[in-house]
Amino acid sequence: MSPVDDYLQQLEAALHVRGRARRRLLAECRSHLDDASAAQDTKEAVRRFGDAGELARSFDTEIALRRGLRATVASVLGVCAVAVSALEIVHAAEANASAVVGWAVAFFAFAQVSGVCALLAALRAVAMRRGPATAADVVLLCRRNGMALVFALLTLVAAAGAVPGHAAAWKILAGPAVAVLAAVSVVRSRSLARRIDPDASRAVQEPLADLRVVVGRSAGASSHAASSSSILMLAPTLVIAAIAAFVWDHQDHGTLASSAAAAGIEAALTVAGFFLLGRVLGLRPGRGTRRGSATT
Amino acid sequence: MNPEFLRGHLEGLLLAVLVDHPGHGYALSQRLATRSGGELAVPEGSLYPALQRLERRGLVTSAWATVDGRRRRVYRVSAAGRREARAAASDWKMFSAALDRVWGGLT
Repeated sequence: MSPVDDYLQQLEAALHVRGRARRRLLAECRSHLDDASAAQDTKEAVRRFGDAGELARSFDTEIALRRGLRATVASVLGVCAVAVSALEIVHAAEANASAVVGWAVAFFAFAQVSGVCALLAALRAVAMRRGPATAADVVLLCRRNGMALVFALLTLVAAAGAVPGHAAAWKILAGPAVAVLAAVSVVRSRSLARRIDPDASRAVQEPLADLRVVVGRSAGASSHAASSSSILMLAPTLVIAAIAAFVWDHQDHGTLASSAAAAGIEAALTVAGFFLLGRVLGLRPGRGTRRGSATT
Repeated sequence: MNPEFLRGHLEGLLLAVLVDHPGHGYALSQRLATRSGGELAVPEGSLYPALQRLERRGLVTSAWATVDGRRRRVYRVSAAGRREARAAASDWKMFSAALDRVWGGLT
């Protein structure tokens, strides 16, 4: 076996990605090594090509990132499709039907969590698109996408529980169908990232750092800065959410007391959401959290 | 030259050698070696993930083509890539000039 064949065999064994991307890389590497071997000693050409394991890891990470970005687009579409299905259920409710309070609160809570998760994922994806990323970044992106889809589906269930009615089945099922397709894309991307780095489970990325990258005030997409400022973000977020809930309820002919209650519930849900989901969404560090994971 | 110096600059260097002419991976590695006088010794395999990153960012496009009787993936810089290359060149000149001023007295 020639040194080129031996090298390509090592590369094939080290690569996790399958399909067209894998075939393309192997074809390009063979072409390159054949050219280099014709110009110099074959062993020297292989030496200059670099370590097969490092090349495979770098290439796999890039493909995982691409898949993660595509999965984010699919997830945002999935969340929007489920939102349309949920609104279809709400509009199909009988005219005089009154919403079951528990389900109605769940509906608004789940809808907001889903929207926030989708927003965080989209922000992360735009920031990651501008620079290199690690497998841990992709896993975090997938987790945010997965949460957005799960809570979107829970929103649909809560809508059906809050205001039962008779909507066309295809209109109700179309949203979840898109969400399931998006979930498959998310799982595929996450699976590749976990194969590249089995320990890539806990990364922290504060949304403000992503926002700085998106508006062009920072070049790095993978800062993984200490998330101590995430908790500082909680205060303004809480105030904005409470004011929005108050105004929403007041404009919906609510009394001062009911609007204040709505603002209080919103504030409580925001705090609960941050502490219950903050670690999963990579907003605050937990056990085994990675800070400052290396960029490629 | 210490390969660590190139960390984070490989994509800009690839854009620089692609701006004037499209090329396949091996041709790009040869251009880098020639234009740097052999000083930029990056592992040649690392060009391929870097080219993929440039493609993802919309800075280069690629397509299979037959070159010198062999089927190869040929890369071309996009309009956005040209803008990025100019910006990177400008940033690098400022950085390089600043380093020269700092180190100049010691050479």
